[in-house]
Amino acid sequence: MTRAEFMSRLKKGLVGMPTSAAAEVLNDYEAHFDDGLAEGRSEAEVAAALGNPDRLARELKAEAGIRRWHQEQNPSSATAAILAVLGLGAIDILILLPLLMSIVGVILGGYAAALGTFIAGVILMVAGPIAGAPGGPLAAILAGLGLMAASVTGAALLTVLTIWLVNGVVWFARLHYRLLKPALEPQVA
Amino acid sequence: MPEPIEIQLKKGVLGLCVLALLARDDSYAYEIASRLSDAIDMGEGTIYPLMRRMQTDGWVETYLVESPAGPSRKYYRLTDAGRRALEDQGREWRRFAKAVDDLITEADTPVPATTDTQEGGAAQ
Repeated sequence: MTRAEFMSRLKKGLVGMPTSAAAEVLNDYEAHFDDGLAEGRSEAEVAAALGNPDRLARELKAEAGIRRWHQEQNPSSATAAILAVLGLGAIDILILLPLLMSIVGVILGGYAAALGTFIAGVILMVAGPIAGAPGGPLAAILAGLGLMAASVTGAALLTVLTIWLVNGVVWFARLHYRLLKPALEPQVA
Repeated sequence: MPEPIEIQLKKGVLGLCVLALLARDDSYAYEIASRLSDAIDMGEGTIYPLMRRMQTDGWVETYLVESPAGPSRKYYRLTDAGRRALEDQGREWRRFAKAVDDLITEADTPVPATTDTQEGGAAQ
């Protein structure tokens, strides 16, 4: 494999990674080629010693995804991290997938319930006094506020649970990927 | 599919080896990769995902050094957390290596007393 071939396959594999991070990775490998050539090795030798660019790209992408998740914990970085980690193709993760899906379903259901409760609270607070709810206007307003507070608490707890879950998946995937898919053997692919 | 135990072992201790190398001297990826590829015969490309992982974990940090020829070079140095990780992992590795070593030595040297009881047990 020539240097240009290696770099283009690596670049293709890094698609989806933030541009600046991908550029940094490509720089690293360009520098590696420079150093190798300066030592008198051929492009093909350096490329062979580096290993399979597709696999390296998957590992680098997963690492970048995990890093972003550690920096900013939001739904988009969570999705990116989990997708990148799944892209590693560790068998354990694929087996875990159905279980993971159902947990995600339960969490989404929980959020929907919290949202519904919140809306019910708003309706009760606004419409209760007008429609003449039993117990008088004050009771309706307080009950509405109570429902809203409960739903916010529920949603907050769910968020903590979700963050914990994503951390768990990432941790598990990294642990198993390291054991399952060693990228050690020099590959001429 | 079973993987050679050698690969599994190397992969497991790769991070520890990098920590140990960096504890002696700051270094750049190409140098680390060639040292490791000489010492434990690993694929050189692995160094980059590994260095990034160690950066994410806060074990190493980078700085640029002007190089006389060509662009400036990215050097890695251990953080305090990296030093602690080296201590912990190094201790664990020594304990593990010693345990395995003891077991292998035990298997190599026949112990007469044990052999006797085993034979006695088998005869009954």
